[in-house]
Amino acid sequence: MACLHDHSCEDHDCSSDWSLYKHIDIPKVSALNEAVPGSVKSVFKAWEQRLSSSEGFLESNEGDPELIVFIPFTSDVKIKSISIVGGADGTSPIKMRAFINREGIDFSDAQSMQAVQEWDLAENLQGVLEYQTRYSRFQGVGNLTLHFPDNYGGDTSRIQYIGLKGEATQLKRDVVATIVYELMPNPSDHKTKSETGGGMSHVE
Amino acid sequence: MVLEATMICIDNSEWMRNGDYSPTRFQAQADAVNLICGAKTQSNPENTVGVLTMAGKGVRVLVTPTSDLGKILACMHGLEIGGEMNLAAGIQVAQLALKHRQNKKQQQRIIVFAGGPVKYDKKVLEMIGKKLKKNSVALDVVNFGEEDEAKTEKLEALVAAVNNNDSSHIVHVPAGSNALSDVLLSTPIFTGDGEGGSGFAAAAAAAAAGGVSGFDFGVDPNLDPELALALRVSMEEERARQEAAAKKAADDSSKQDKEGASSSQDATMSENVATSASESENKKDDLMDDENALLQQALAMSMDDPATTTVNTRDTDMSEAAADDQDLALALQLSVQEGAKDQSGETDMGKLLADQSFVSSVLASLPGVDPNDPSVKDLLASMQNQPEKKDEDKEEDK
Repeated sequence: MACLHDHSCEDHDCSSDWSLYKHIDIPKVSALNEAVPGSVKSVFKAWEQRLSSSEGFLESNEGDPELIVFIPFTSDVKIKSISIVGGADGTSPIKMRAFINREGIDFSDAQSMQAVQEWDLAENLQGVLEYQTRYSRFQGVGNLTLHFPDNYGGDTSRIQYIGLKGEATQLKRDVVATIVYELMPNPSDHKTKSETGGGMSHVE
Repeated sequence: MVLEATMICIDNSEWMRNGDYSPTRFQAQADAVNLICGAKTQSNPENTVGVLTMAGKGVRVLVTPTSDLGKILACMHGLEIGGEMNLAAGIQVAQLALKHRQNKKQQQRIIVFAGGPVKYDKKVLEMIGKKLKKNSVALDVVNFGEEDEAKTEKLEALVAAVNNNDSSHIVHVPAGSNALSDVLLSTPIFTGDGEGGSGFAAAAAAAAAGGVSGFDFGVDPNLDPELALALRVSMEEERARQEAAAKKAADDSSKQDKEGASSSQDATMSENVATSASESENKKDDLMDDENALLQQALAMSMDDPATTTVNTRDTDMSEAAADDQDLALALQLSVQEGAKDQSGETDMGKLLADQSFVSSVLASLPGVDPNDPSVKDLLASMQNQPEKKDEDKEEDK
């Protein structure tokens, strides 16, 4: 598949670069102002399928082009660049703002907050454009929120593909799940060796 | 079981003094709010509920979303009625309160009780609805109190604007003898789109219908399932024992009816049990000894408890039916006689009874029984003969 990049593709395989989608926690991906709940999950796929809309695409509600996409990762990632494939007839987003490691951002938050980085997007229907990030700011990303405030004049906004290029570290940001909280201390749980009859401590 | 944070918007405007809902509109509303809070917290313990008032001096948040039911119920006390309902401001404040919820994973929901008239335009309400939909907040509206074409239309438009995938609902409750809470119990507001709170709703509905606590034996099956189950089982056993005692007191002639009245031919096992049960009754009558009779009955029941009890209940039901139709009784009798000879489904009980050592050991363990008692020995001997007699019959048939 021709890449249409300005480098020759015999050296490397483009699809492996855009493999950060494998580290996305797909069940927890959510979007605000999507017309079909859950359609946002279809937007994260392999590079080769970026133009196929067989699984659907993300579309905003009628008359309202704003979209917010919340992308949690299974481990911390470093994001080098982002690629967006929009829809035709002015439904492509024209601007993108990114926030990292903030949960529960809604439209009023997004409009008032300072984004980590903002980009002006072109109508990238073939998916050949990528938007580089200020890499130093995108280290250790646990979750990424993308806000698309406006589009090219269409009634709705449509996004077919969101690609992320970068590398995944193995660090996880899991919340500790199995903690037993003590409401009152139980002395039997805290016996030391000396109290239970003493063990031999070896001093070498 | 959806994890949800809910804000309930209460209408405490002047229109709530009206008595067309008993006892007053405001009181009916308060009851409904209590029920909703209970249902939400029960369907998922991590759900939170908050309350705000829309009328009075202005929109006032009484309690921010919390899972503490006591706090919510307490804040409903001492509310004053007055002023006019401000729907738009109420919804906006509710949205703000939800935005600042502690657990961001909860879904957002607003429940509005719209009693007084709505002074806002349909357009304004639709804008508010769209904003709620955009931020994925669900909205439930309870339209009661003032009945007004325009009001209904506006509220319908509002819910239609918010509705995303059937998560928002509107309920119209007309004035009448039904309490507001009862009407709400059957609506999606309680049943939560068909899942989750339906268990609570069903229990609460039973409570409303029954008037008292409504739960069987006064124990909430949700709170204490083992206790409820134990109570229910012991009730059934007691009932079965009483029925068996009543059956024992019946005379011999009705015994034939009971044999005939036992279940269909297909269930040969139950018929065998019925015949053996009636045969055990024969033995009891033979002995003419109350203590041994009760003993035998207890023995029979302990050996094969479920089958006997079900047969007993069926017997009592069917005996009346058989008595009505003589032909039916005759047919049943004939069929049962064939069944009595059929040994294919001979139960463990028969085998157990035949096993004399087992029986004597059981008898020995029972208090007040002397295995060397002659009557008991006769009993055992007769029981031993029973299976042998059945075997003879079977061989005859073949």
